[in-house]
Amino acid sequence: MRVLVANNMAPFIRGGAEELADELVRQLRARGHDAELLRLPFAHEPAEGIPAQMLLARRLVLENVDRLIALKFPAYLIPHPSTSIWLLHQFRQAYDLFDAGQSNLREDATGLEVRDIVRRADDEALARPRVFTNSSVTQDRLKRYNGLPSEVLLPPLNDPERFEDLGDEGYVFAGGRINDHKRQSLLIEAMASTPPQTRLVIAGPADSAADADRLRSRIAELGLESRVTLDVRFLPRDVYADYVNRSSAVAYLPFDEDSLGYVTMEAAQAGKPVITTTDSGGLLQLVQHGKTGWVVPPDPAELASALRSVATDEPARKTRGAAIRKRWLSFDANWDRTIERLLA
Amino acid sequence: MKIAIVSSAVPFVSGGARNIVDWLALKLREAGHRTEVVYLPFSDDPARLIDQHAAYRWVDLSAADRIICLRPPAHLVPHPNKVVWFIHHIRYYYDLWDTPYRGFPDDATHRDLRDVLRLLDTTALGEARRVYTNSATVQQRVSRFNGLDADVLYPPVLEPERFHCADYGDEILYVSRLEHHKRQHLAIQAMRHTRTPVRLRIAGAGQNPAYVDELHAIVDRYGLADRVTIDVGWLDEDRKVELLSTALATAYIPFDEDSYGYPSLESAHSRKAIVTTSDSGGVTELVDDERNGFVTEPTGAALAVAFDRLYSDRALARRLGEAAEARLGELGISWANVIDRLLA
Repeated sequence: MRVLVANNMAPFIRGGAEELADELVRQLRARGHDAELLRLPFAHEPAEGIPAQMLLARRLVLENVDRLIALKFPAYLIPHPSTSIWLLHQFRQAYDLFDAGQSNLREDATGLEVRDIVRRADDEALARPRVFTNSSVTQDRLKRYNGLPSEVLLPPLNDPERFEDLGDEGYVFAGGRINDHKRQSLLIEAMASTPPQTRLVIAGPADSAADADRLRSRIAELGLESRVTLDVRFLPRDVYADYVNRSSAVAYLPFDEDSLGYVTMEAAQAGKPVITTTDSGGLLQLVQHGKTGWVVPPDPAELASALRSVATDEPARKTRGAAIRKRWLSFDANWDRTIERLLA
Repeated sequence: MKIAIVSSAVPFVSGGARNIVDWLALKLREAGHRTEVVYLPFSDDPARLIDQHAAYRWVDLSAADRIICLRPPAHLVPHPNKVVWFIHHIRYYYDLWDTPYRGFPDDATHRDLRDVLRLLDTTALGEARRVYTNSATVQQRVSRFNGLDADVLYPPVLEPERFHCADYGDEILYVSRLEHHKRQHLAIQAMRHTRTPVRLRIAGAGQNPAYVDELHAIVDRYGLADRVTIDVGWLDEDRKVELLSTALATAYIPFDEDSYGYPSLESAHSRKAIVTTSDSGGVTELVDDERNGFVTEPTGAALAVAFDRLYSDRALARRLGEAAEARLGELGISWANVIDRLLA
């Protein structure tokens, strides 16, 4: 089957959605399909320009394609008679971010009009069979705002075979991109009030040099150099997996993410319990306090107590590690099933 | 510099236009520029022509410092720093209007479409900082139909240093897709008229089985099997380099092509003379008769004379071959030149 995967492109920026789109193309090809990626440029600024870009998507003509799999707004507005939508997120500026006052759409006549145009287009485009969402957060939002049902299809891990429990070398691992949104700084503050045997490793690429510098200087100010390791770089997969596989637990504290997040899924695959915060969003489907990890308010004192518990309570660590792995595997997120559903 | 290369494509169809885009992206990145490639789908259905042009007009690439537009209608994309490397018009509405290739009626609707398209092209090309074409033929069309001045900027092949000359053997090599308008049949016909033991090798992918059968039938009918080899199938790049390095010379005799074609360039980089015909179009921009190859009448007998002369006089084959390589420098066919001009 000739399958065109349609994603958005913010020119010169790459993120998780781009990785997922590339992996989807690879997985389709591995199963004998012809697969190609279409990257539709999308600029969400200025807000007044959004309707024209929606029209753009609507007017494109796809020839020579048996199935379209569209991932994002407005790529899923491209017309094709045989479409599956794997919704990574709607245009949140017209939905929850608008309601939270965090949107680039202002509460004036133009902002409200653009918001309503986006919502009406979604009402129409997402009312079809084969609409999948990448998390229950995305699913709930689509239900709440547009009244539309969807099936959750979690993005699988790309290399699950790399993750296994290789023992506990006595550190908490905080992996993933380093930036304000992921709040590694909260963990550093928390480390200041933990017992001396508690260790933390923060490793991953920093969004900017300033992000890394802030963490580095705070570690120095608090005199934590001997207990907090900061390894700022894009980690090769084997190095990253090794950090996960030999840790006591994994800490991941993004603010209000839609999805489970690869960091969480990889920790679960390796059987490592996860420390997170009550406002972290989608990963709370997997991380439950007292069962599969520690879920505490986003506060250094609360996090310190979770870190302390990881360091001192070995039975809890082991039980919760086994439980998170079991829960993750029960979700049955793998590429065979994902592609079968998308091409159904 | 942040550069977006924009082109159109039919999904799952690859052609020369994709090579030039992908190679250019590679070279711009090597030169240290952040480069995004934006391929948008395009169908030549007349009923959807204007819609799709509107779509291209709404593409927002303001995140780029400069855009370089190739296959139409990519030049419709607006940008204050737009450079167009124009490889052809949508020819049914231009030079092919009065030919059987048009494929739709000469009625009021289609005449209107033609006039609107020409107006759109003229406007969009007129906005560019610079318009380059890939051949003198296309340059003349831009002048004649759109009233605009363009400079010719010849496209190079990727990594020309791969090609080399080891020897001047017994074989005329014709590397190209096996298609009727490439006229491999004419090259085989020539072998009926040769008087020397010169050999012919035809190599390339054949998407049209009937034409491939026809080629084999001609070989059989005239008992040419001992002197004509037909290699059907995509030619491995290393094998191509090797065949070119030991060939006596090459043949490239398509009917009325816009540009000189990559096979001619590869021949010149391998210091091999090019045998072409007077009705081959853009190839004759590169090949001068008796200087770096032969430009013969499009008949088997005329081609045979050229083949025999090369076979009988290896010093001639060498002299013309060396002149073919020198001609590339005269025409400025190099990536350094391309990048200089496109970023000027």
